[in-house]
Amino acid sequence: MSAIPHLELCAVSLCYDEVRALQNVNIKVPTGDIVALIGANGAGKSSALRAITGLRRVAAGEVRLDGHIINSPSAQEQTHALVRQGVVMVPEGRHVFPHMSIKDNLLMGAYTRRDPARIASDLESVCERFPRLRERFHQHGSSLSGGEQQMVAIGRALMARPRLLLLDEPSLGIAPQVVRQIAQSLVEINRKDGITIVLVEQNSRMAMSLSSYTYVLETGNVALEGPSRELMNNDHIKRLYLGG
Amino acid sequence: MLQVLINGIVLGSVYALIALGLTMVFSIMRVVNFAHGQMYMLGAFVVYYLYGQFQLPFWLALPLAGLALAVVGVLFNRLFFQPVLASAKREENSMLMAVGTALLLENLALTLFGEKQRGVPPVVDGSFIFGDISEGGAILTYPNAMVAALSVTAIAALLLFVQYTRPGRALRAVAQDKEAARLQGVDVKSITTLGFAIGAALAGLAGGLLVTIYGVNSGIGSNISTKAFIMIMIGGAGVTSGAIVGGVLLGFAEAIGYDLLPGSLTYLLIFVAMIVFLVFKPNGLFGKPWG
Ligand SMILES: Nc1ncnc2c1ncn2[C@@H]1O[C@H](COP(=O)(O)OP(=O)(O)O)[C@@H](O)[C@H]1O
Ligand SMILES: [Mg+2]
Repeated sequence: MSAIPHLELCAVSLCYDEVRALQNVNIKVPTGDIVALIGANGAGKSSALRAITGLRRVAAGEVRLDGHIINSPSAQEQTHALVRQGVVMVPEGRHVFPHMSIKDNLLMGAYTRRDPARIASDLESVCERFPRLRERFHQHGSSLSGGEQQMVAIGRALMARPRLLLLDEPSLGIAPQVVRQIAQSLVEINRKDGITIVLVEQNSRMAMSLSSYTYVLETGNVALEGPSRELMNNDHIKRLYLGG
Repeated sequence: MLQVLINGIVLGSVYALIALGLTMVFSIMRVVNFAHGQMYMLGAFVVYYLYGQFQLPFWLALPLAGLALAVVGVLFNRLFFQPVLASAKREENSMLMAVGTALLLENLALTLFGEKQRGVPPVVDGSFIFGDISEGGAILTYPNAMVAALSVTAIAALLLFVQYTRPGRALRAVAQDKEAARLQGVDVKSITTLGFAIGAALAGLAGGLLVTIYGVNSGIGSNISTKAFIMIMIGGAGVTSGAIVGGVLLGFAEAIGYDLLPGSLTYLLIFVAMIVFLVFKPNGLFGKPWG
């Protein structure tokens, strides 16, 4: 018998008033994997993450975490409660607290925790992972470059000790060498810390090279899915998402 | 001159306390609590009854005024502000609701306490004298000194709380980015309630302090609210440092005005100055919330 997936979207639909952003979407995320979610602007990628984090109630279907329903039309776990269960998101556009120091931003990530000694040592490891942050430890979030803000946002998410890390377009608007650094750190986070990752990207090449499995969203539907390696050789994918 | 400076410091420190409470609520809910002055008035009445009438020690009555208003704040938030803000499609809705709560409190106070002006016996007696009063010296009464010292203490405590504690950080996070705060595991609803409670408690403390100098009547609320609006408009709504600077500036403007001008002219000039100021700096001295 196969293990229960860590995360599962079963026939999920999600609406904003008249707009149907997701339609009958099925996604499985096995424990310990990196799963990519790619698609054009407006395809519904962020909406899928909003369904998982409980930021928006689904209109149909259900989201399951370790087999337990966390979002369905009749019942929904609150976002802040899901953080305590290890579901942590790095939102699109980073959403670093602008008038807070890097240190306080990172401490906000540890908001749900009550173990000061380990919070302090985790703060240290985030700074080791992103040394740039240590240099700017007391500067405000708004004074940072896009890449630095993304490091803060990822570091902040790690401070929560997540089991499931959701990233919404971490490469958006960031210099290519920083994107490589961030990609590298995601692999480490997954392998060393054993954190399951859902990576939403428009940078399809990056997302597919990092992930083991990829879902392609088109106008709210899963248009295509498969092991990332295979999909990279798929003609449709090559033409539409890999620019050649 | 020295006297004006002393008066300015005393007024400025309490005003800063009043402005901080209003700005706290604004930064978190993006709504002006029009009832802030009425909450001040209630705090003054709590001290009037507990200390002035029932003869509890002032040191007990004052924190109780803060606590009582925190409770009022929680109730107001849960009963009026959160439901209306959740369903309001337009800003006017929440503004009207806020004005309504101010009228509610004022009429409640008129019914319960009447309209008489009331005072309390002095908490401390005596004064510091600096130099020769007839030759430019100045006087600082103990009651004034106590009000200033306690205001500054309360302000310092608030700033330390907001800057260095876990709930303080959560308050700042909610003020800056609600959704990001939620994604860090913050229960935004509870933290909003906490912010409202603190804002109301600060109004209550300020009222409980100033009743020892100026007394209280049921109608002073709107007067205090107006002053509080001026202060946070000077500093920039939702900005901590702005509230403090706005409070101190208004305190000094009042102290200088009352020294030089006949009675009502001071506020006329303050209003004109503020309108001119807002034309040039519509967001106040400091731009963004919780800098
Ligand atoms: N808050 C919202 N209100 C109304 N429509 C929205 C909202 N957010 C997203 N949408 C719509 O839902 C669809 C999917 O959006 P989204 O999930 O953000 O896509 P993606 O992240 O793939 O770019 C789009 O058509 C978008 O316009
Ligand atoms: Mg998106």
